[in-house]
Amino acid sequence: MNNRFVINYTPGPTYLHQLSGFTKVLLFIVMTVAIISTYDVRILWPLFFICLAQMISMKPNWKPIIFMFLFTFVTVTLLGNVMLFVVSPDAGLNNCGTETIIWTSKTGRFYISKEWLWYVFAVFTKRTASFASVMAFALMTTPSEFASGLNKCGMPYKVCTIISLAYRTIPDIANDFIDIRNSMMMRGVELGKKASLGKRLKNNVTLLVPLIMSSFGKVTGIANAMDLRGYGKYKKRTWYAEHEPTKADRLVRGLTIALAVLTACYIVWSKAIDPWPAKIWCPFSDPSQIRNVSLEESFFLFRWLKSLFQ
Amino acid sequence: MEPIISFKNFGFKYRTQASPTLYDINLDIYPGQKVLILGASGSGKSTLCNCINGLIPFSFDGEISGTLTVAGIETKKSSIFELSQSVGTVLQDSDAQFVGLSVGEDIAFAMENIRMPRSEMVPLVEKNASIVGMKDFISHVPFELSGGQKQKVAIAGVFANDVKVLIFDEPLAALDPQMGMKAVSLIDDLSKEKEHTVLIIEHRLEDVLYRPVDRIILMGNGRIVADTTPDELLKSTLLQENGIREPLYITAMKYAGCSLEGNRNLCSLEDLELTSENENRLKAFFTSAYQPLEESKAEPVIEFDHVSFSYDRQNLVLSDIDFKIRRGERIAIIGKNGAGKSTAAKLLCGLIRPSKGSILLEGKDIKDLSIKEIGEKVSYVMQNPNQMLVKDIIKDEVGLALQIRGRSAEEIQSMTEKVLKACNLYKMRNWPVDAISYGQKKRVTVASMMALEPDVLVLDEPTAGQDYRSYTDIMNFVNALNRDFGITILFITHDMHLAIENTERAIVFSDGQLIAADRVCSVLANEAVIERASLKQTSLYRLGVKLGLDPESVIERFISYERGLAHKEAAKDAAPSSGGASGSEGKEAKADE
Repeated sequence: MNNRFVINYTPGPTYLHQLSGFTKVLLFIVMTVAIISTYDVRILWPLFFICLAQMISMKPNWKPIIFMFLFTFVTVTLLGNVMLFVVSPDAGLNNCGTETIIWTSKTGRFYISKEWLWYVFAVFTKRTASFASVMAFALMTTPSEFASGLNKCGMPYKVCTIISLAYRTIPDIANDFIDIRNSMMMRGVELGKKASLGKRLKNNVTLLVPLIMSSFGKVTGIANAMDLRGYGKYKKRTWYAEHEPTKADRLVRGLTIALAVLTACYIVWSKAIDPWPAKIWCPFSDPSQIRNVSLEESFFLFRWLKSLFQ
Repeated sequence: MEPIISFKNFGFKYRTQASPTLYDINLDIYPGQKVLILGASGSGKSTLCNCINGLIPFSFDGEISGTLTVAGIETKKSSIFELSQSVGTVLQDSDAQFVGLSVGEDIAFAMENIRMPRSEMVPLVEKNASIVGMKDFISHVPFELSGGQKQKVAIAGVFANDVKVLIFDEPLAALDPQMGMKAVSLIDDLSKEKEHTVLIIEHRLEDVLYRPVDRIILMGNGRIVADTTPDELLKSTLLQENGIREPLYITAMKYAGCSLEGNRNLCSLEDLELTSENENRLKAFFTSAYQPLEESKAEPVIEFDHVSFSYDRQNLVLSDIDFKIRRGERIAIIGKNGAGKSTAAKLLCGLIRPSKGSILLEGKDIKDLSIKEIGEKVSYVMQNPNQMLVKDIIKDEVGLALQIRGRSAEEIQSMTEKVLKACNLYKMRNWPVDAISYGQKKRVTVASMMALEPDVLVLDEPTAGQDYRSYTDIMNFVNALNRDFGITILFITHDMHLAIENTERAIVFSDGQLIAADRVCSVLANEAVIERASLKQTSLYRLGVKLGLDPESVIERFISYERGLAHKEAAKDAAPSSGGASGSEGKEAKADE
């Protein structure tokens, strides 16, 4: 079961795997907040490398990770940037405040500026860093640690149990689905490549009826089993999966808190004390040249509507 | 001594039902007793136990009359939580009740809920896991465990509280025969060592009697029909009247014309002391001349020619499987879970393809046929009918396969009608699928397969989740299809009773290999095969050994006698009804009109 979908059901042997669920969830939350808070690549690249180092230290099966990375790279980054180029070649000006044009099409409708390239690069960096942080978290955490860690962070335990129950039943439901699909194929329902896409889609939807019916059947059983073992009696519960903090936990929690403090300082410094005049820090822009682009000016749709009325 | 469980004029009616499920229950169970609660589906045996553990009335709404006290607490005034401190329940579905993501977590679930600190929890989990023999599996995930192991975990899970009463709801439902035996022994050990009061809810009487019980409470139509010792119950006629299968050796004794009175320890074949008169009768019966079972000489319909299969090109799931099945045969494919029997069935249906060797269907290699094309000749009926039914109305479900193949409306109409009549479902053709029982749904799935007029019908665990009455119904129906339409039937099963009563030959798998393909009586008399396949000796075999006779001829004599009886009955039935399978459905359908 392990490593098939990157999700681990039993904790691995490495240093990070052995941390408690609370430490892992804390680390993930702080990392995510830090990555969300900025577009500054001078911050993002180091964060990315921390996450990458975490991943490497866990010796994962890289195949599915690289596959997912390439998949998102092609669909989101490549396609997204082509669209951005068509719709909003001035994204560089809008976000960096200056514009240094390096190429223009014959009509002048399309152009590329250094700042546009920088903007694309910054967004890519941010996306990659987020991806790495999610992956690192998924690799190190088992679903039960996730649930117990979240509960310790203040999430109500009933919500946490739902999460762990979901992980418990997903493989069973997947197996049920395969069984149902097989039986339908034997009866002659075309689900393979022979049928047209629309027909395949429609036929796959028919499979949902027995799938939902057989899944609902299980719900009563699970609910009774939980009731009979005293679930939900008290406002709090303890967790077998959440072990007492070890030395490693204390060290990582310390580092995580330090990171949280640094992030907070950075946010305060960059937003209030010494704010950069544009949305994104860019090495090509001279701070004195930066002009602020108003909101309505920065949206392609607004400009297009405006041009219609003029 | 004070009873630990005491029902006084107790009755219960579910809110959603018109009439009560339990009537006039007066029952005292004393500490340390081991009690079997016996009854067919719908007899009220599960409801009775849900009253004890508090699911009734706290999870299932309804009206209670009379009183029930458990460990000195009146249940109505208590709560499911308070009752769970003294009553531990192991539910039927060992998979659904496994709520944790590892063995340790699941055992700890009840401790977590009472806010036990983890430092106390860990040693207790270890201790409880070792009671049931799962100590080496604490970090295992549920997906790696067999049904029997999950059940052990569930048992360890209820020990979190210092429970006095243990309830086992159909503990044998999901286990193969050998695991079932182990489960019965484990329950017995628990009742002895820890002095628990143990209640077992089952309808498989012979399997539970593998270890002694103190008392049997027989339920029927919501009332207690009998509250007696196993010996007394076996002597009476109550089992047949209440749809419970009697042990095979008792059936054999009846066939031989033995009187059941006067034999000591009737409930345990090992300790049974037969009267000399009975012993002579049995010997005479088993050594008398009989019609030997015929072997089919028809042309082969399925041939596995040295078939091997692996998912990853390394580990062979099946290796070098070679057998033939002739037209019109009834075959039992037996073996424990994971032995390769379902893989063989998937290969036959074309869902997976052999890595080596070939499979011939009516002499033609199936490698060039699509799943759909194979599906017109081989029909596979899954274990759980809910996984197969997609339409709202029975008629549409049966016609679905034809509709997909683009047959004309008239053709679909006439074929559907024909099949529905053959399957004794015609009167229910416009009923919604949701409105019928589990056993009837099973019959609808078979009917929907029959619409394609297959040559071979593969039934995966046809008896799972059904009591004796519903089992007999389905078997009569399938046997009629075999007799009247010459359809070859393959039963994938680990039910030895089914094999004895309904098949000519058995194909036995163990660890991906075919270890036997022979006449049923020879397979069941072959100790080495039974051992390797993790099956259980039938009591007929043990009776043969006890009498000092050759077990194979004992089993063959028994089957031959039973088939003779069945033949007579079928001849009687064939005249009035079309399919030969007449049962409660017919009556229900009439009631609807």
